[in-house]
Parts: sequence; C-alpha cells; structure tokens
Amino acid sequence: MLILTCPCCGVTAEETEFHGGGEAHLKRFGPGSEDADYESYMFNRKNPRGVHFERWRHAYGCGKWFIAARCTMTLEVFATYPAQTHEPPAEVVTQIKSKRPDWEGFA
Amino acid sequence: MKRYSAFAIAREAFRQHKGWGEAWTSPEPRASYDVIIVGAGGHGLATAYYLGKRFGITNVAIIEKGWLGGGNTGRNTTIIRSNYLQDPSAALYEKARSLYETLSQELNYNIMFSPRGVMMLAQTEHEKRGYLRTERANALQGVKTRFIGPAEVKRLVPIININGPRYPVLGALWQDRAGTARHDAVAWGYARACSAMGMHVIEQCAVTGVESAGGQVTAVNTTKGTIGCKKLGIVVAGHSGALADMAGFRLPVESVALQALVSEPIKPCMDVVVMANTVHGYMSQSDKGEMVIGGGADQFNNYTQRGSWHHIEETVRALVETFPMISRLKMLRQWGGIVDMTGDRSPIISKTPLGNCFINCGWGTGGFKATPGSGWAMAELIAKGEPGPLAAEFAMTRFREGRFIDESVAAGVAH
Amino acid sequence: MSEHLISALPEARAEGFVQIAEAGLQGMITLRGDLASAAVAMAVQSVTECALPEARRITASGKASVAWMSPDELLILCPHEAAAEIEAALRTALSSEFATVATVSDARAVFMVKGAGWRDALAKLCPVDFSTLAPGDIRRTRAAQVAAAILVTGPEEARVICFRSVAQYMFDLLAQAASTGSEPALYS
Repeated sequence: MLILTCPCCGVTAEETEFHGGGEAHLKRFGPGSEDADYESYMFNRKNPRGVHFERWRHAYGCGKWFIAARCTMTLEVFATYPAQTHEPPAEVVTQIKSKRPDWEGFA
Repeated sequence: MKRYSAFAIAREAFRQHKGWGEAWTSPEPRASYDVIIVGAGGHGLATAYYLGKRFGITNVAIIEKGWLGGGNTGRNTTIIRSNYLQDPSAALYEKARSLYETLSQELNYNIMFSPRGVMMLAQTEHEKRGYLRTERANALQGVKTRFIGPAEVKRLVPIININGPRYPVLGALWQDRAGTARHDAVAWGYARACSAMGMHVIEQCAVTGVESAGGQVTAVNTTKGTIGCKKLGIVVAGHSGALADMAGFRLPVESVALQALVSEPIKPCMDVVVMANTVHGYMSQSDKGEMVIGGGADQFNNYTQRGSWHHIEETVRALVETFPMISRLKMLRQWGGIVDMTGDRSPIISKTPLGNCFINCGWGTGGFKATPGSGWAMAELIAKGEPGPLAAEFAMTRFREGRFIDESVAAGVAH
Repeated sequence: MSEHLISALPEARAEGFVQIAEAGLQGMITLRGDLASAAVAMAVQSVTECALPEARRITASGKASVAWMSPDELLILCPHEAAAEIEAALRTALSSEFATVATVSDARAVFMVKGAGWRDALAKLCPVDFSTLAPGDIRRTRAAQVAAAILVTGPEEARVICFRSVAQYMFDLLAQAASTGSEPALYS
C-alpha cells in the first residue's frame, strides 16, 4: 500500500484516494514531430529500478495533479510536489540524494 | 538423462529410489558460449530448448539471478488459452497451446496439462459484443472457440450465479481445448531437457552488465564473472527494462505488480477456468483443491513483487457476487509478480539495436500460456538472426511504425 | 416549483452505535476561482458573511458556511431556499473575476452522522486517519466506492455529502457501518 501526501491540499492518504498518471516530466512530441521522438514520447519509458518520478491525481480529494518522487524497489516516497514544473525542484533532488547517494540524478 | 517411465519407477522401487539423479545439473559457467539466454523462467528455458531441438545449437547457457522458474513462471495462475482477437496473437498463442498438448510426452516430464476449458464471461452488453467479434475472428484464424449462452455457462459451472444484480452473466466465450498446466513443471521439464542436451543452467547468477563492441554484444558481466557469447537473448519479463538499460537501449515497457491468491483447499467444485474481465477476476480450481484467483495490477511502476491490498479486496468482492459459495472460504496465501506491460498489451519478440542481441518481453499479465510458442519463435529469431512468421509482427519497431497488435480486449487485466 | 422539491432520501434514518439521518434539503453552491485573489475573498465575505476558509477548513456565519474543497474551489452551504439569491449575489460580486458559480443543491445528498463514535463508523468506509480531524474541518475522500466530503460539524457530529445518484448506496453504507456491536473502537 502506497501512502502519498498531496502537495495541493496537504492531505496524506493511501493510494486508493489517488489515481496514477504514469511517468512525469515527459516532453511532448505532437503532430509533425519525428517518428522516433513521437515513439519515445508515447511508449518508451524509463521504468527504473529505484528513483522514479510519476504523476498522480488526488482523484477523490482536491482533484489536483501532482508529482511524486518514489522508489520502485521499496515504495518509499521521497517527496511530492506540484505538477507545474518541467523537472524535479532542487530541494527534492537534494532530498533524494541524501537517501539514495548512488542515484545518478534526474536526466 | 534418465527416462521417466512406469518401468523406471518399478526399477527404482527395488533400490530405494536412489538412482534417479538430478533433473538438471548446476555447472560452473564456461568462459564463453554460442548463445547466452538471460532468464531461466519458462520462456528462457523454452527458447534454449528449441534452439537445441530445432537448430542443433547446444553450446548454450541459461543464466538466472534467482532460482529456476522463481519469477513469473512460478507466480502466475497457470491459464492456457489462445482466444485472442488479432491474427498475429492468435497464431502465436495457438502455436503455444498446441505445443502444450504434447509437451509432457515430448519432454518426458509430466507438466499436468489439463485442457479443461476456459470461459471468459460476458457481463456487460459491450463485453458480449466484443466476444462475439472474437469468436468470429477465431473462426477465421482456425482457433476453435464458441460463444455460449447463460444456460450453457450454468451447466458447465454449476456454482456460478448468472443473475447477479450488478454483473449478470450474458454469455461467455468458451474455448474447450484451453485449460491449465503445472507452471513449475513446465520450467522443470524444459530445464531437464536442456540439461540433457548439454546446455548449462546456471542459477544464482545475476547479470550486472552487458559488454559490447561495434554494435555487437561480446560478453555479459555476472556475479559469477564475465561470460563471453556470440549471441545474447534477454528473456527476463519484468526486469527487461533494467537489462535493456545495461545493453544501452530503452523499451516501450513498464513494470507493474500483478497479484494472485489461493483459497484453502476444498472438494472439487469447478472443473473449468472462469475469467470475468469486467470485474478483474478469474478463478480455477487446482488439483490440490485450492481456488486459484487472479487479481488486478497496480497502477504504478513497482518492482516489489507484492501488490496493494485493495486489489485483492476488489477482486474478491466481485467474485463473491459471481460465485456466492466462495464467500466463506479463507485465503491461504497471496503473492505478486512483476509484469512488463507494453502499450498495446502484446509481447515483444524482437531484434534490438545491438546486432546479436535479441529480446523477448512485454508479455504483461499473460505470458505463461505462450511459453512454448514464445520459445519456439525466439529460438528461430536467435538462430537465424531474423524473425520467423510467428515473431515477425512482434518486433519492437511496431511502436514507431504504428503497427500495433491491440489486445487490450483479449488481455484486459485478466489473462 | 419549490413545494415539489424533495431531498434524495427524505426521512431516511438508521440507529446503531451512531445515528444516521438524511439531512433533508440543503442549499449548496460551488464557487470556482482563484482563492488567492482578494476580490474572491471579498465577494465571499460580503455575500456569505464568512471569511475565506483556510485549506481543509469550514467557516460559518448566521447566513451560510463556506467549506474549502480544493485550491480553487469552495462549497457554500446555506438554506435551500436561499441558494438562488446567494448565487445571484456571488455572480454579481464576481462579474469581473475569472470565476464560476453554480447551485448544486439538488445534485447532492447530505447525511448526518451523530454520536460519539462517528469516527469509528466512518473509519470503516474511508481511508482516512480520523484522529487528525477536528470540528470545523472538511475532508474529501471516498466512502467505499464513491466520492464523499466529510464535514466535521461538532465534537460528536459529522456530515457526509455525496452525489445524489449514489444517495441510497451511501445511506446503506452508513447504516451498515453504524450497526450496534460492530464498533471498531479505534477512536473511542
């Protein structure tokens, strides 16, 4: 069971109040883009063992989207932050590094 | 390899069963092999087996980070069927199903294939239309299935409640030559046959890196040292992304946990497999008497081999409505496996950006049923360097080219 | 028109270790807009006589109460017959703002859960740590399979708001959760 804290309303709840939205910080490639870019945007995923950034929606709560930094091996949640950003905020990166010194960083 | 037979049992009975020997050996790795298969689950072992049997390639190692068949091979709900919608899927899964029919004899190992019949319940009008479409597609593909009405469902499965308030049974897609097999035995049987051909099954040996030069794999680094290879086959299901990362490419795959559970054993009460995709549940009764129940997949990437509890609750709640008699059963155990999901819910049997490296993954929630067919097609791909007719449509380039093999209906959650 | 209006389950009652009762007609208005905007705060204050609530809180006046639903949404509770007037006043006050106002009274159902064990009853249905909730709090969550908003209206009383289409489901859930002898005694 995954427990998340919504950064938009501050509620901490288990995963059934939320809805997962897949890998976060994807760059969109739409009509007119190269096939390889479009494929990568649509299908290819990091799917890492370890630190992972993913989108969640507080579906049964405030209804807002946010992003969770989470470990896929342990379900540990490092941080959650609002979705209006292209990359993890610096303090989130620092937080993850302190817990996962071997992590290569967000790329 | 000692042949198993009634005579062998009689002979061994006279000498305290001391002459059986190991089913497969556990050798130390050689410096290099013609082919290395990463992953000694059903698909990896089947690939090795057909490499030897069909193409005479026996200088093969199958390396496994855990124990043989300890991943999804030992964690699935053992369902075998081939009633898929799209032609490439039906061909592949029907090949697998037909190989299962004679696999015990071929491997000289009882895999307990039980063609008891699989029915997929239609519990909404939408689902009914979907299955009628699949029935017609199957007729064209030469896969024998039949859409049956609620009365026929009730006759085949007396314990079912066809008049449930939320999920009435409107009919079912019925495949009478589908069924189940003993999942461990499939891996053990293939391992024994591979070992008998002189292949090396190397357990407790994790791959830590892939060495390549000039676009070709040269060796794999493992916890038992570096092992050279002329060709590499990656058959590691949920961990495909990690292996692909070592080999330097990315896959259209995401790994999630899928759960299953079994009840305490009870007397025989249901002799077919019933799948209810609307409610994300499926159930069969094992030879031990346990009700084997498959549940839903998590909605997030996960490598923990355990799933979230609420899926069990949801699955059981829905199944209790369809099978009221199971409401008093106790759950005996519950477990999760890591499944590799592709965008179109169809597998990948494919060449990779590395010339002599091949990948077999993306079986998602339903790889067990395909084990022999998957190995058959993958062996051909590795041996010839080009896919045969079964694998051709399953190249990973299909995502770039938009040639999806959309099986989200057939696969649903329940496989 | 008004004399024909009825709430979702009039007079629905259940008695257990807590009492469950449908609250009858309740005026409800949804306001969506930028809650950080001074104009929105002013409009809410002037029309409802309530201060803009903090996150996950409810403010009240003699006229209405205002519940915080999300960073850009408020739910205004008032007498059923007053809703149209309050809606119109809010619309006027917010005419120059990027905001929407809609009366949703008849799209929802409200249940009262009364008794010292209200937390225990709701804890059976919702994935919520009820020890974190105090009077004046609102918590949006799910109850079994449907969305619910829980308004803590007193030390021994809460209200549950759900969509009207699932009112019977919600009532049955609450009634069963309240069954005498089934107290989980997590909080009492």
